[in-house]
Amino acid sequence: MTTEVLWWMFAIAIVAVSAGVVFSRTVIHSAIFLILSLAGVGAMYLFLTVSFIALVQFLIYGGAVTVLILLALMLTRMGVAGKPEPTTGVQAPFGALVALGLMFTLIGVAVSTAWPGDLGGSLPGVTIETIGNEMFNNYGAPFIITAALLLVAFIGAIVIARQEDGD
Amino acid sequence: MVPMENYLVLSGILFSLGVYGVLARRNAVLVLMSVELMLNAVSLNFVAFAAYLDPDKATGIIFAVFVIAVAAAEVGLALAIVIRLFRNRSTANVDEAATMRW
Repeated sequence: MTTEVLWWMFAIAIVAVSAGVVFSRTVIHSAIFLILSLAGVGAMYLFLTVSFIALVQFLIYGGAVTVLILLALMLTRMGVAGKPEPTTGVQAPFGALVALGLMFTLIGVAVSTAWPGDLGGSLPGVTIETIGNEMFNNYGAPFIITAALLLVAFIGAIVIARQEDGD
Repeated sequence: MVPMENYLVLSGILFSLGVYGVLARRNAVLVLMSVELMLNAVSLNFVAFAAYLDPDKATGIIFAVFVIAVAAAEVGLALAIVIRLFRNRSTANVDEAATMRW
């Protein structure tokens, strides 16, 4: 019962701050809302008893990604700091239409489908041992490829963002 | 206990908000932040499915790990491109960066 009340509080807060990310008129506010939203989804992983993913979420999204985004916001600042500016284009109403349609479709599918093997009641929980065994026994090649992808992506990012002599 | 559908509905709402942000926003960094929202919704979906339907094999959780890793690579690369765009064009507006060459 307490869990459910907490869950609903977190869910409503996540939807609210995510709406803040999308609708806020100052970019810095959007970034701060994004941090809160990512942290809230991390709390959702705790509700799902998957503490490993929650940890990864807090570390990588809450830490690294948001720092990168804040840095990029500072480097690409156009107007006066904190001054509201028009942040949506003429295409905004069509975007809203698409998003609303998609939302109702997704919710309809999620609610109306009978998911096979749904445990329904209490979750057995997924331990880090299970994740590690699965990861390194069955997904070793994707793991190595992802490592190479990360390396290549960050070298590429450095090369692209580097200040050249001619600039 | 919260039923699984709750997580799916929450994830659907988050994903739709992200779609709206990607379609409507003009600042490239804000578009990227909306993409992060969408990726988060997807991993929440994966993890919810794994925790409720498949806790022994945890396939969805493995997927979520890869989604997070690829999202980190994507955000690093995309922000580098945004910074380069801003340096060359003095704008981070995706509507003004419509040509593929200069």
